[in-house]
Parts: sequence; C-alpha cells; structure tokens
Amino acid sequence: MNVETSYSGSTAVAVVDGRIDSANAKDFDEELSAIIDRGVSSLVVDCGGLNYISSAGLRVLLIAIRKTNEVGGGLALCSVPDHIREVLEVSGFVRLTKVFATADEARASFSK
Amino acid sequence: MDAKLDLEIGLDQDEPRRAVEQFEQFALEHDVPMGLTFKFQLALDELLTNVVSYAFEEDAAGPVITLALRLTDDKLEALLKDNGRPFNPLRDAPAPDLDLSAEDRRVGGLGIHLTKAFVHALNYERVDGWNRLYLVQPLGAHQEDQT
Repeated sequence: MNVETSYSGSTAVAVVDGRIDSANAKDFDEELSAIIDRGVSSLVVDCGGLNYISSAGLRVLLIAIRKTNEVGGGLALCSVPDHIREVLEVSGFVRLTKVFATADEARASFSK
Repeated sequence: MDAKLDLEIGLDQDEPRRAVEQFEQFALEHDVPMGLTFKFQLALDELLTNVVSYAFEEDAAGPVITLALRLTDDKLEALLKDNGRPFNPLRDAPAPDLDLSAEDRRVGGLGIHLTKAFVHALNYERVDGWNRLYLVQPLGAHQEDQT
C-alpha cells in the first residue's frame, strides 16, 4: 500500500494504491490520521489503484469518516474499481460515504 | 482437473496475507475467474484473520492452523482447521447493523458479514478439539446474485 496526498486548504486528496488488509491496516490508519491532523476536514480517498481491501481497511475508513464528520467536513471516495465497490455495497459503506467517478467531482462536492 | 494446495499458517499478523496470496497465485495458475478469486480470497482472509487474532491464548500450547484448498472442474473448496478455542463465526459473530450512521456503527463484525455474502456455502463443525470451517464456491455457472 502507498498513499500520495495533495493538499488544498482544508481539503486533501489521498491516492491509495495496492492492498489494505489486517497486515497493514494500522499503517493506513496512521496515514489518514496524519492527513486529518494537519487540519484537513474534507478528505477524498482516490481508490483508482486500490486492488484489495478487507474489513480491517474498512474499519480505518469508518474511523476517518467519523473524524472528518466531527470537524464538519466529511470523507468521499472516487475512482473505485468494480470489485472494491461491491465490498463497499455489501458492507453498507455506500450509505456512509459518497462515491464519485473522479477526484475533481469528489472535491467539488465539498465546496457546495 | 483436481488441484490441491495445503498451507500451514502461523500466528503472526502477516500470515493471513501470505496464505491468501498463495491462494491467489494458485487460482491464477488454474484460470479461476478473477472476480471469484477476489471474493474467495477476501473470505479466507477474514476467517484466517479471526483465527490468528482470537483463537489462541498467548501461551497456548501447540497452536495449529491449516488451510486445505481443492480445485476441481466444478468447484473450489477450502477447509480451514484450527485447534484453538471453540468458535463458530457463522453463529457467534454479531451481525453488523448496516443502517446505522458512521457514528453509531460498530467497528467489528464486517468481516464475517462479507464472508457470508461472498461465499456460496459455509459450514462450521467442532470435531475432537478442532474448529473446522468448510467453504465451497461452485465454478462455471457463476453466481453473481448471492449477495
């Protein structure tokens, strides 16, 4: 797993690739927490390069959704591959966070 | 076709990944459809992660976890065995309430929920001090409607 983040004020886009499972969910949590701790309230997680996520990774997303909600922002996902989207649907995460086709659309959703 | 892969799994937190990546390679070599491989891999990962994390006390004597995979023309099967404490994840794991908000959602329970949704048939038995979880996924007539 690798996370590349670009910042724009209180909004950030984190591009995640690779695999998130119980072996590295803690690292993913530290990455997202560090982004939020920099004052980011609106976080876009770009899943274009994500090829695997287990419930351990979903837990980290849930924590990040709560943290960004708490500060009046939120978390949005974009560029989600079909098989990852199915995981999000089955686990009910599509009701917890919005899923956009592109990072630009996700970012724009926060500026409304 | 009758292909088998037998794995022993240690108690380290990296072990589920090592095991499911070996499964993925096995499935790839035998042309198992990718979507099905992904779902089965996720199910194995969730079940193995549970066992590695919770089945054994820290000072448990002789913990053993094995995964036996078998691929035939019409189905993919897995038997996951461990000699840890009795635990039937199909019955004992609380079901998550997917209608709750992010604030109210419990953090656990999703792994088993995904496993049940992604695997066609699951069966648990406790036999002679062993937990035995049996997974079956038919091939060919591809079930996309199980969820």
